[in-house]
Amino acid sequence: MTRAEFIARLRRGLAGLPATTIADIVADHEAHFADAQAAGRSEAEVAAALGDPDRLARELRAEAGLKQWEEKKNPSNAMAAIIALIGLGALDVMFLLPLLMGVLGALFGVLVAVVAVFIAGGFVFAAGPFTLPPGGPLTALLAGLGLMGLATCLGALLIVVTVGVFNAVVWYARLHFRLLKPAIEQA
Amino acid sequence: MPETIEIQLKKGVLALCVLALLSRADSYAYEIASRLTKDIDMGEGTIYPLMRRMQSDGLVETYLVESQSGPPRKYYRLTAAGRQSFEQQKAEWSAFSTAVNDIVGAAA
Repeated sequence: MTRAEFIARLRRGLAGLPATTIADIVADHEAHFADAQAAGRSEAEVAAALGDPDRLARELRAEAGLKQWEEKKNPSNAMAAIIALIGLGALDVMFLLPLLMGVLGALFGVLVAVVAVFIAGGFVFAAGPFTLPPGGPLTALLAGLGLMGLATCLGALLIVVTVGVFNAVVWYARLHFRLLKPAIEQA
Repeated sequence: MPETIEIQLKKGVLALCVLALLSRADSYAYEIASRLTKDIDMGEGTIYPLMRRMQSDGLVETYLVESQSGPPRKYYRLTAAGRQSFEQQKAEWSAFSTAVNDIVGAAA
């Protein structure tokens, strides 16, 4: 493989990352080729020593994805991190996927329940006083507020649990995905 | 395919080796990679994901140095956190390797 081919494949593999990150990574590898050339090595030799550019790109992407999740925990970064890991062929994560889907499903179920309780609370608050409940209208108002408050608390708890689950996945992935291994094997 | 113990070992100490090299002198990726390739037989491509990880973890930082030939060269140096991490990992490594050597040596 020539230097140009290597860089082109690396660049293709990195598509989707921020432009500055791609430029940075490409510059690193260009410099590597330049340094190697100065040391009298051929392009093909260096390309072989660097390893498969597609694989390299996937590792760099996975690293970037995990980093983004750690910096900013939002749903799109969580998704990006998971996709990057799957792209890496982290079989351990694939193995984990059914379990993860179960957990996510359960979390989603709880979310629906929380929203339902909140709406019910709002309904009791708004309509309750007019139905002449036992204990008077004030009871209905307080009960409605109570339900909404309970739903809010549960919602907050749910977010904490969800973030915890994703943190655990990222931690597990870090531990298990085979970053660095192929490059070492090829040496 | 089971990972050989050799690969696992190298994977574990790679970051420590990079920290150690940088603790002696600032360096650039090609130089670090050549050194590690020569001494512990590691793939050259490994260095870039590793350096990016260490940089985003705040262990190393980069600066540019003008070169006589071609574009400026990117040098890495340890940050205070990097130096601290090195001292800690070095202590862990030496305690661990001493313990393993004792056991392996005793068995031989």
